Amino acid sequence: MTTVTLHNLRKEFDDVVAVNGIDLEIIDGEFLVIVGPSGCGKSTTLRLLAGLEDATDGEIVMDGRDVTAVEPKDRNVAMVFQNYALYPHMTGRRNITFGMKSSGDFTDEEIDRRVEEAAETLDIADLLDRKPQAMSGGERQRVALGRAIVRDPDAFLMDEPLSNLDAKLRIQMRAELAQLHTSLGTTTVYVTHDQTEAMTLGERVVVMNDGRIMQVDEPQTLYDFPANRFVAEFIGDPAMNMIPVDIENGTAVHDAFTIQLPNADGGVRNGVKEGGDASIRDGQRAVLGVRPEDLYMATDRPDTGDETLNATVNVTEPLGDSLLLHCSIGETPCKIQAKARSEIRPDDTVSIAYDPARLHLFDPESGDALYHSESYASSESAAAAADHG
Amino acid sequence: MSTREIFDSRIESGLLLLPTLLVTVVFLYYPTALAFRTSFFDSSFGRAEVFVGLENYVELLTSSGYHQSIIISVVFAAVVVGGVVVVSLYLTFLIHEVDTGQGLYLISVIWPYALPPAVGALVFLFITHPTLGVLTGPIESLGVEVDWFNNGSQAFVVVALAAIWKQIGYNVIFMIAAMNNVPDTLTETAELDGVGGLRRLVSVYIPIMTPTIFFLVIINTIYAFFGTFAFVDLLTSGGPSNATNILIFNLYQEGFSFFNFGIASAKSVVLFVIVGVLMFVQFQITDKYSYYGG
Repeated sequence: MTTVTLHNLRKEFDDVVAVNGIDLEIIDGEFLVIVGPSGCGKSTTLRLLAGLEDATDGEIVMDGRDVTAVEPKDRNVAMVFQNYALYPHMTGRRNITFGMKSSGDFTDEEIDRRVEEAAETLDIADLLDRKPQAMSGGERQRVALGRAIVRDPDAFLMDEPLSNLDAKLRIQMRAELAQLHTSLGTTTVYVTHDQTEAMTLGERVVVMNDGRIMQVDEPQTLYDFPANRFVAEFIGDPAMNMIPVDIENGTAVHDAFTIQLPNADGGVRNGVKEGGDASIRDGQRAVLGVRPEDLYMATDRPDTGDETLNATVNVTEPLGDSLLLHCSIGETPCKIQAKARSEIRPDDTVSIAYDPARLHLFDPESGDALYHSESYASSESAAAAADHG
Repeated sequence: MSTREIFDSRIESGLLLLPTLLVTVVFLYYPTALAFRTSFFDSSFGRAEVFVGLENYVELLTSSGYHQSIIISVVFAAVVVGGVVVVSLYLTFLIHEVDTGQGLYLISVIWPYALPPAVGALVFLFITHPTLGVLTGPIESLGVEVDWFNNGSQAFVVVALAAIWKQIGYNVIFMIAAMNNVPDTLTETAELDGVGGLRRLVSVYIPIMTPTIFFLVIINTIYAFFGTFAFVDLLTSGGPSNATNILIFNLYQEGFSFFNFGIASAKSVVLFVIVGVLMFVQFQITDKYSYYGG
């Protein structure tokens, strides 16, 4: 059981800054997911935690012990890699036991007992005598997990462990990983570029970009209250629409429409959890964020009010469970998730309603969130849960 | 085959192949066939060849001097092949583990390979010469009398060391490539598990490198039997008392010092057979124990 704290952690490779001074506290026993685009520093952060990279600056503290300069083997962490990193010439059993036998910290009986336990937990008993060559991708990853759990480490570090698996298997392994974490309760740091994986697995999710942490929150909070434009666009698929507007008297004004902003009386900031400077003023330029699923055909939702906007449909993409429309509102491109089987064709002009509780405003320069139309304070319990880190 | 379409006609492709075919036939297959033929004759300068059947082979089979030469050659090959592989593996591992200046270490290990064998032999002669050698003093200060001009065992060791030293570069080039091919994540997993350096070399790297190592064992075997001629010739001339008279030097002496072409040819056929059988055995083992990816 381990709490890990990062203080101003920084890693440079020559003149490239991979991790740019991050602070983070990983709570004992939690499943923390670090997500971000390629090159955002998420894997480097994990490797710093493992000790496979030396920090340029800052410190890593595990349970009160500064481990910044400690050798990987003395940190008692286990890592699971994207390419499984199984020794190709060893059987499943030897792959699992090799590290323990080499370190000499365990008796043979202890090793055998732990292998049996791990094999049972992961259902890999029949893989123990096979070499990786004779295993499928999912089986290899199970054995790699087995190797990680037999050592009973203080923390699991997982570097995109499911990325090499096919889509179906990935979803299955995702559920198994979540289950495994529930049964073991070991602190887990999981790195992925897949926001769906991050949302489904993480008890808390760290969104990173350009070596910095953009936001740390529970998945639903990230989705509902993105702290900045990057998080808003990165989390959610299809991505949030971003529409440039002017703020006038608590309304968002665009060439093609005007939207009343709820709870936006006279520049009182709303829904933004952090950042004291964030506020909206009259005459200010801003970016209105609204998710494709929060826009509807006005005809489907007659009770959402009178305020509608007109959009021209450019392309339709049937997704099966919904129909994704690529539209233009004035000159601004915009995506709308309409009901499946809607009779909409390209070049149609459609009347769109929106969910007034799900509007966001971002600063056009800094990208910081200025306003969320749903009050964050109303979900006090969510705030408390998210803040305890 | 699409490759055939590169050439307009068979004649054009045949013409392009001709130089290679000519060189191999004239300088390889024809001399081989001739040597095989000569081994059944009593042949020397200034007199007609006389067919003697298997007499040359019978003489070799009954010559105790030749038996000794075979034993010396096999022991020499074993020492050289083993020494080259072990030392090269260890040096490769050390180079693999350094973070900075890898290129410099690599060059310093490889340069003896870039020397012609005769130059290499002379360099080694000046390093270990019993009276002039730069290493002789330090070694003698350890209480060993360096006297390999007269001491057969010492001469054997010196020639073997020279042969090993010369071949390390070639091996390291291949081994560093193979070792760098081992995925970094395996190294990192071992590091996280606290697997020590040598253990990592022996249990992780070497098994994965087996195809390269077996290839090098074969190349080194050929080198030990054939490519070490210059060291024997320049350092010991097969002496003292035939202590370093390996087969390749033995047959050279027979042919070009004593001009017994018949016997020398028979010796080269025997050498060819010995090395051929060794290759065959090695290939059998290779297929059984090599790990070829997957």
